[in-house]
Amino acid sequence: MFRKILVANRGEIALRIILSCKELGIKTVAVFSEADRHALHVRFADEAVCIGPPKSTDSYLNIPNVISTAELLNADAIHPGYGFLSESAYFAEVCEASRIKFIGPSAEAIRLMGDKARARIEMNRFGLPVLPGSADAVHTDKEAMATAEAIGYPVIIKAVAGGGGRGMRVVENRGELLTALKTAQAEAASAFGVPHCYIEKFIEKARHIEFQIMADEYGNAIHLGERECSIQRRHQKLIEEAPSVLMTPSLREEIGSRVVQAVKEVGYSNVGTLEFLVDERKNFYFMEMNTLVQVEHPVTEMFTGFDIIRDQILIAAGERLPHKQADVQFRGHALECRINAEDPVTHKPSPGKITAWHSPGGPGVRMDTAAYAEYVIPPYYDSLIAKLVVHGSTRDEAIRRMDRALDMFVLEGVKSTIPLHRQILRNSDFLKGDIYTKFLEHAQGRRARAVEIA
Amino acid sequence: MNLKELKEIIDLVTSRESIEELELEKSGVRLRIRRASNHLVSSSIAPEARAVIPAVAMPQLPPEVPQETAEELFYIKSPIVGTFYKAPSPNSEAFVSVGDFVEKGSVVCIVEAMKLMNEIESDVAGEIVSILVENGQPVEYGERLFAIRPR
Repeated sequence: MFRKILVANRGEIALRIILSCKELGIKTVAVFSEADRHALHVRFADEAVCIGPPKSTDSYLNIPNVISTAELLNADAIHPGYGFLSESAYFAEVCEASRIKFIGPSAEAIRLMGDKARARIEMNRFGLPVLPGSADAVHTDKEAMATAEAIGYPVIIKAVAGGGGRGMRVVENRGELLTALKTAQAEAASAFGVPHCYIEKFIEKARHIEFQIMADEYGNAIHLGERECSIQRRHQKLIEEAPSVLMTPSLREEIGSRVVQAVKEVGYSNVGTLEFLVDERKNFYFMEMNTLVQVEHPVTEMFTGFDIIRDQILIAAGERLPHKQADVQFRGHALECRINAEDPVTHKPSPGKITAWHSPGGPGVRMDTAAYAEYVIPPYYDSLIAKLVVHGSTRDEAIRRMDRALDMFVLEGVKSTIPLHRQILRNSDFLKGDIYTKFLEHAQGRRARAVEIA
Repeated sequence: MNLKELKEIIDLVTSRESIEELELEKSGVRLRIRRASNHLVSSSIAPEARAVIPAVAMPQLPPEVPQETAEELFYIKSPIVGTFYKAPSPNSEAFVSVGDFVEKGSVVCIVEAMKLMNEIESDVAGEIVSILVENGQPVEYGERLFAIRPR
């Protein structure tokens, strides 16, 4: 087992990793930028080292400083959390060369899944259905036109190296295709450094459902069921829940076993998530695999009772998978709201000082956060300040519990997504479970029109 | 008023954000302390470095004392995380010692990171007043290594 883990991240996830380490009896090293000197991960780690100025490219993404810190303080492993260095195959290689265990999959697996087009071909080969599409980047106008024609409109253009909605365009008809492709390529080039885009079938009312998996280094793998993440804004998840309302035990069993099979075939180890688009007839299409512990992992932890980060550390330390598929019991309903420091109307980030803070509690409520009263939210990083997660015996109970927890959440000094969450929780379509990835866009469009008419 | 009292007053002013300016007259000594305008960057990171005393008039004390207190030292900080070495090799002489004069660009120490020896240069010309870390000590980003009295 590891003696000391360096946590190469900040905010709530750094704190989340530190608490699993404490429970496992593993010492922790926090790294921080000059903007995070008063952050809680710095306070609760056993040791803390400043690794650079506020800008993340000079601090949290500064590989030499992170590795030097691990070497100086004799950390035997690095946990990358999510974001920052978590999906850098190069970083995983540097760790290996420095004889420090990277807590995540192999550099090879990260590289494969990082190339979305290649990942879909591979996973399709191992039995996962994919959307009809170009499979590979389209390079010429002629190629793009022919591909879109063969798939049938509407189609969606996506960046090969993509994520987070950048380099994405929905195209309704052939007249819009080439302009949309140019814009998407330009966006992809500036966001990821690679302009390549591919085209695939666009599903009008698609759900985003993902499967959490766990695999050890000896070829054993299990799935921990699904998470429904259809409530999104500009491709950023806002509310996640488990189970999905459309899921049945037999469908979960079917998709789950195909997922586990594919993961074993590619020789993946550590934790990961396979994202699917699901149409109204419950067809699952594999989209991509995320090779890290995700923001919304607490939903699955509440749904299964497992500690995913603890298990992730054990697997990285070379232990066998601590659970069998038959041990995985799905209980009740879990719901997570992402509380971001941003204006709920304009969606602009709202950094600044938190002047009043009360964290809700009570039965079935979990709060993952690194914020506190008087904490100053720096403007340099993402706007997520808390994940409020609840568990109830049914979806209705979970929703009522979330609503009262949001009501008892005091957060003053900065604007947040709390009012938006409360609106969504009262929406009749949401209550029925009639949700899809464009849900919020449509709901807000209706509201805007209603205001205009009034 | 002695040096200790003066230091205490300065400490008081620098520890309270609400005090922008302080004027004090006591037994023939008039003292005015005003904060530098750019101090509101962060409340607790090294406030002592930002205290500036632009106008100090003390007729009854020797002139060296207020100058000594008011002097602004320059700090060479570590640009990377690594191990501090004061000499190029264990058997050689230190790059610099207290009292030495350095030029801008002079190598003052080495910070080793990932088996690479990074020579750290002085950003200013001046006299080394103190060395703030031990040979072989791990240093973090931004850690103060040397205090220099600029020339």
